[in-house]
Amino acid sequence: MNKKILIVEDDITLRQTLAEFLDAENFSVITASDGEKAIYAAKNNLPDIILLDIILPKKNGYEVIEEIKKDEKIKDIPIILLTNLGSLSDIEKALNLGATTYLVKGDYKLSEIVEKIKETLVIA
Amino acid sequence: MRIKNDLNIRRQARNLGISVWQAPSFLFMIMAFIIIVLMTVVFYISRNQASPEYLIVAEVAVVVIILSIGNVIITNMEKMAQINKMKSEFVSIVSHQLKTPLTGIGWDIELMLANYKKGLSKKQLEIMEKINESNAIMTRMVNDLLDVARIDQGDLSLKKEKINMKELIDKVVEKNKELAEYSNIDIVVDKIRSDLEIISDEKKMEVVLDNLVSNAIKYNKIDGKVFVTVKEDDKKAKFCVKDEGIGIPENERGRLFEKFYRGQGASNKGINGTGLGLYIAKNIVEQSEGSMSYKSIEGKGSEFCFQVPTV
Repeated sequence: MNKKILIVEDDITLRQTLAEFLDAENFSVITASDGEKAIYAAKNNLPDIILLDIILPKKNGYEVIEEIKKDEKIKDIPIILLTNLGSLSDIEKALNLGATTYLVKGDYKLSEIVEKIKETLVIA
Repeated sequence: MRIKNDLNIRRQARNLGISVWQAPSFLFMIMAFIIIVLMTVVFYISRNQASPEYLIVAEVAVVVIILSIGNVIITNMEKMAQINKMKSEFVSIVSHQLKTPLTGIGWDIELMLANYKKGLSKKQLEIMEKINESNAIMTRMVNDLLDVARIDQGDLSLKKEKINMKELIDKVVEKNKELAEYSNIDIVVDKIRSDLEIISDEKKMEVVLDNLVSNAIKYNKIDGKVFVTVKEDDKKAKFCVKDEGIGIPENERGRLFEKFYRGQGASNKGINGTGLGLYIAKNIVEQSEGSMSYKSIEGKGSEFCFQVPTV
């Protein structure tokens, strides 16, 4: 069975590219373009893993993590932050809220992101 | 900038991008010293001649004059710090904004080459590879600027993850192969224990190694060799990259790790670079609880090493 992944990214170009690449890697892909849609999609689709941006419209990445962690049904889904931020305070904040790990967008190729997703899924 | 709260002279100087002698704490010390000296001088000159009132007025005048001058200097320092901070923040914001489209270009090329390669002609493929290379260079420059801005703001974030150094070194050497082949340079890698691990940020450590290896290629002689060696010693490992190139002139050695500093030889030979690589590498290594060092003989070559704790 294909693993279900929720991609939360407001930049349409990045979202589409990620979705297409992960789809070709045999993931079942769901996408969301803002924080509210992300929470809705997580609750309704129960993904195996979430790829989450921090700067998002409506609700930011931190708020999304908080809401997810409050919900018994989805609180254990691993969350990988995929962000362009990368300052110590941003990352510590996200990890303290319960994100599993973080990747700085520009530093990782798509194939490396897939590798990290697979690693996280094995651990989780 | 934490000038008023931070009395560490070296840190102040680094934060402000000025020399130690210009740091506000140092200037305060100089001011205090001048006040004491002048007060003593005034006291000795006037003790036999003037009335006590005159002495008090003269001493107060000394203190007021020196404090006023000092205040002007230190206020200027604060302004400079402010401008420096704004500059760092500006670079940081611009780099962030540039990163999203650059990431988009990189990912789309990767997607194209991974999934649609079959539909491309040889020429189209060649052009895609070229776009990819240029994009990688631009991404690296933006990353360097962002790293420097973060270092200046004291906010360079390093992950703490286990890194297999053999795998990482192999990856960096592979990445630099084409550059080496261009100048017919051979990269010789020491035998490395396959389970040698350190704790740091993998992407940042890759930046350090990539910097040293690509420098060793760029500053090498044609047909030269690059040696990558590892020495382990009681919970520490020392990684060295040695070249057979132009070496570093004596008078440039003190400034090697300064930001934006480029040696005369590099500029004369037309070697590309921003002068940020070693500055960033040193900061990453130091934040990984390690240290960086180098040896160089002019005309014979240089060796850059960093030592970090192993797992």
